[in-house]
Amino acid sequence: MFINYEHNSHVYNVTVERRENQFFIMYDNNEYTVDASEVKPGQLSIQLGDRVIKCVISEGEDSKFVFIDGDIFKVKRIELTGRKQTEKKEGDLNSPISGTVVQVKIKEGSKVKKDDVILVIEAMKMEYLIRAPYAGKVTKIHFKEKDQIEIGQLSAEMERKEDY
Amino acid sequence: MEVIESTINTSSKDYKENFSHYQKLAKDLKDKISIVSKGGGEESVKLHKSRKKMLARERIDALLDPDTPFIEFNTLAGYDMYDNKAPAAGIVTGIGIIHGREVVVVANDATVTGGTYYPITVKKHLRAQEIAMENNLPCLYLVDSGGAFLPMQDEVFPDREHFGRIFYNQAKMSSMQIPQIAVVMGSCTAGGAYVPAMSDETVIVKGNGTIFLGGPPLVKAATGEEVTAEQLGGADVHCRESGVTDHYALDDPDAIRITRNIVENLNRPEKTPLDIKKPEDPAYDIHEIYGIISKDPRKPFEVREIIARIVDGSRFHEFKALYGTTLVCGFGRIMGYPVGVIANNGVLFSESALKGTHFIELCCQRKIPLVFLQNITGFMVGRKYEAGGIAKDGAKMVTAVTCAQVPKFTVIIGGSFGAGNYGMCGRAYGPRQLWMWPNARISVMGGQQAATVLLTVKRDQLWRKGIEMTKKEEQELTAPILKKYEIEGNPYYSTARIWDDGVIDPVDTRLVLGLGISASLNALIPDWKPGVFRM
Repeated sequence: MFINYEHNSHVYNVTVERRENQFFIMYDNNEYTVDASEVKPGQLSIQLGDRVIKCVISEGEDSKFVFIDGDIFKVKRIELTGRKQTEKKEGDLNSPISGTVVQVKIKEGSKVKKDDVILVIEAMKMEYLIRAPYAGKVTKIHFKEKDQIEIGQLSAEMERKEDY
Repeated sequence: MEVIESTINTSSKDYKENFSHYQKLAKDLKDKISIVSKGGGEESVKLHKSRKKMLARERIDALLDPDTPFIEFNTLAGYDMYDNKAPAAGIVTGIGIIHGREVVVVANDATVTGGTYYPITVKKHLRAQEIAMENNLPCLYLVDSGGAFLPMQDEVFPDREHFGRIFYNQAKMSSMQIPQIAVVMGSCTAGGAYVPAMSDETVIVKGNGTIFLGGPPLVKAATGEEVTAEQLGGADVHCRESGVTDHYALDDPDAIRITRNIVENLNRPEKTPLDIKKPEDPAYDIHEIYGIISKDPRKPFEVREIIARIVDGSRFHEFKALYGTTLVCGFGRIMGYPVGVIANNGVLFSESALKGTHFIELCCQRKIPLVFLQNITGFMVGRKYEAGGIAKDGAKMVTAVTCAQVPKFTVIIGGSFGAGNYGMCGRAYGPRQLWMWPNARISVMGGQQAATVLLTVKRDQLWRKGIEMTKKEEQELTAPILKKYEIEGNPYYSTARIWDDGVIDPVDTRLVLGLGISASLNALIPDWKPGVFRM
């Protein structure tokens, strides 16, 4: 499974494979094997190497609060739109593939017409274009040239303005 | 079935640019074909005609039913090889129709180095025989050849897939009840003598046709005996004395008449029945394919737009449209024949491979021919995909493609790279026919990727020695690799070497596939018997 979450406005891309209580976690090219079990609802016991960590998780409105050793981490899961949902009528700004951003064609704050190219992603010998799904203003571009982008990751954000 | 809805804007700038670019590609193809179709040049054509001999293509024209198509194979074999001294490899091969039934014709072109066999000529001849064997089609050899091209004997004679294999195939096919018919219209010297000798029924043309193991010069050298070619192995000798030939023809047209009579009496079994409907043109103009395929091979195009211009009425019953969306699978018809179409619409993921496997199984159960539209840059790479088992899912697709017993047809409509080529029924997977469009590219990986891989390896090696590469050195290393991949990935490089059955204009795809399917029905479609799928 592939999870993206945000903490302190930083996005972490994590791959998790689960086999019963064992979790194989891949983050930033490091692999961790973790044993975790739920002691009681909201309380986890995690074994990482020879360290045993107890933590409590409470659900916030759109994020989770994780209490570990007196520290509090606010994490937010970023929902990914996988390739299986690409049948939606209107396009989106999610990357269709894992690859490298080779070109950012639009500056943040610029107006775009529908189908204007915002970003060019290169992967597997091909160029994939992220096009504006509708007319509007590009409010945020999450990547710069040479950045790695993962499949389903949101590349940019837009404000819809039909009169543009 | 529903018609695929096309969203192509034929007045857009991109479309127009693509279109005019592709027009050039199509014209280039036509020019190349028209050059090689002239055979070995004006002088040798003149000499050939002065002997009252028809040209190879004229013979085929006269032999086939009037106004019926001839699917020619490997027209550009030998292109840019041997200093271009072997146009069309000096032999014309293909499937044509005689008395309403498909046959394979193999005709030597004596205007090209006396019809002698270059290595690529042997390969082309063997490929035609393979097509005949797989599709259970009678073979007609219009022989006019001096045998092996002696200066290259080491590449023509000794190996398994060399000259000897021609006669091996003749005996094999004859044993499979595939008629072998030879028409001797010129020389059949040395090894070439076995073409008629190994045939079921033979015709020889008086005056021009000769068959002997050793020609007059060799006989003189060996025994001192002086004979003319006609006395040594002409029509009279072989029809009246030796019995090597069965029918005596006065000239080329007479030989063709007799040959048509032979085919009329072959009593071929009925073709495999298939649910055939009246052919229908696609709802969209086939020529629009020119504008759909991006000028820049790095820009993907929507493959449903291509399918819409290949299948009858543009009608397509898509299978698992929402799953593994980078592979489009579905049922349709081509020239009235039912087909299962498998087409790339992006890189292959596990899901796409599983979907492809499932779809191949359906077609195999239902005995529906498969058409692969190949435009594949590979299976997705990366830690996530490896861990997800993409290797075994890809293997399932490769297993299904391999074991698929229905007639398979592959058209490379874009890129053909790496294992994607395997999963999409590349040459090694025995498609009955494999065609390329002039925009196609084929190699184990992209030139840029190969250059990067080799550069990384080299850089690491030097780095361990404490040496750092300069930008210039890096470029010196990568430039020749890029060039090599560019040259070798070209469709004309491929077709010259018979890695395919020919380069075709996209607008001819329907016709070529339709004829291919029709020919394939001469053979039985066995039951589906797959291998082990790694789960």
